[in-house]
Amino acid sequence: MSIHIHNITKTFGNFNALKNVNLEVKTGELVALLGPSGSGKTTLLRIIAGLEFADEGEGSIEFHGTDVTNRTAYERKAGFVFQNYALFNHMTVAENIAFGLRVMKKPQRPEREDIDKSVTELLRRIALEGYGGRYPSQLSGGQKQRVALARALAVGPQVLLLDEPFGALDAKVRKTLRKWLRQFHDETKVTTLFVTHDQDEAFELADRVVILNEGDVQQVGSPQSLRSDPANEFVADFLDCVMI
Amino acid sequence: MAALIDIHPAKHRTRVRRATAESAWSRWLVISIAVGFMGLMFVLPLVVIFQEAFRKGWEGYVEAFDDRATMHAIWLTLQVAAITVPLNTIFGLAAAWCVSRFRFRGKRLLTSLIELPLWVSPVNAGLIYVLLFGAQGFFGPSLKEHGIKIIFALPGIVLSTIFVTFTFVARVLTPQMEAQGQAEEEAAMTLGANGFQMFWRVTIPKIKWGLLYGIILCNARSMGEFGAVSVVSGHIRNKTNTVPLHIEVLYNEYQFVPAFAVASVLTLLALATLILKTLTTTKRGAA
Repeated sequence: MSIHIHNITKTFGNFNALKNVNLEVKTGELVALLGPSGSGKTTLLRIIAGLEFADEGEGSIEFHGTDVTNRTAYERKAGFVFQNYALFNHMTVAENIAFGLRVMKKPQRPEREDIDKSVTELLRRIALEGYGGRYPSQLSGGQKQRVALARALAVGPQVLLLDEPFGALDAKVRKTLRKWLRQFHDETKVTTLFVTHDQDEAFELADRVVILNEGDVQQVGSPQSLRSDPANEFVADFLDCVMI
Repeated sequence: MAALIDIHPAKHRTRVRRATAESAWSRWLVISIAVGFMGLMFVLPLVVIFQEAFRKGWEGYVEAFDDRATMHAIWLTLQVAAITVPLNTIFGLAAAWCVSRFRFRGKRLLTSLIELPLWVSPVNAGLIYVLLFGAQGFFGPSLKEHGIKIIFALPGIVLSTIFVTFTFVARVLTPQMEAQGQAEEEAAMTLGANGFQMFWRVTIPKIKWGLLYGIILCNARSMGEFGAVSVVSGHIRNKTNTVPLHIEVLYNEYQFVPAFAVASVLTLLALATLILKTLTTTKRGAA
């Protein structure tokens, strides 16, 4: 599913978090939102998910051609992985993953055995077989991260949004998970947008990188094109390369 | 870390003196003042209540409850609590939700109002309702016209008890909900849970121990409230006397054993509350 963002503006009091942002993410793409802290990347991600609403005006958000600007998070059902995972601490790993399936309305809700099957399958995919009965507090950061991802994927979302997915992990786990996510994306081809402030992460993982600063999109392009042809001073400085 | 430091705890145990440690005698002094004060002010009265209640033995104690007015007072108090506690649980949850989740005009005013019952004398709480709903009160004439009785009746007692106990659930939950944030609720929403499912499956399990703690406190206070209820009830025996009011009546009539026997019931309620409070606090700490 593709995402189209037109003229999105967001202000918090006097602070302009996003200024007329336009962006397009194609079906099956893996895109990184890269920028320093306070650049508005998380706000943009939350607006796409419907957890935050853009200022009233001309701006709109389309999911695969359908206008979802005024739909709530609950109606958009974008898979979202939170920076601190936001796992349900009072539920087991299996219950966490099954949550999205269990809250479905009667006609769509799978049978109990089918839910169990999908949970087992997801646990296998995130390499946490046999961890279904554990509680989030008994997991390491990297394991929590993968559970959060499995939970988001269980409902079969058309879009996956990840907020600083590797932010709280140590360098080694970060590298492994990065590779794993890229591989995972190549298999599933779910349209994915992730936020990061780490340019290595963005450049290694993403098909295209969006560079944000102070609520403005500075440049959009493939990792190579950004490095070889930075659009302005900020991009050049941020990517630590020389303007030609 | 701990394992690294305490490899041979038994061999290396030396007396560690912290910079903030007091000398032995001053520590002894402070502890004995605290314990002595607690004993004098709290434990001794408790002992006296039970001693007086059992002055005529177990039979005298049981006999004290074989009385229509006493049983009616207990029944009335249970009714008041049964109405007040659920209502204040809902109000408290709603207030805590508003304050911890939304930014709006007048939020600070609302936060202050939630604490109002703690600073206002309970007598005032009762008087407000007399002024509003009493025979000479603001709504008095129109209420009388429709044959509705609030003051000197159950509705007045319930209203003033609600006023006095409003604060407990909200005050316990607000800081807890503020600290927990709402990431889990947001996660539930992106997974397709509606507001109702989010509330029951995610929010309630997160706050259940705090909620229980607030309910216990609210219940204890609603059963024990004297001042506010005293103003609106009119002390009509077999009609509007709650347990605390009834104890006063008995005492003033020199019926000491029944007075202390009924008082011991409230004391037991307080002790049970204390135990439950300790249990839920431990759970809240663990969660």
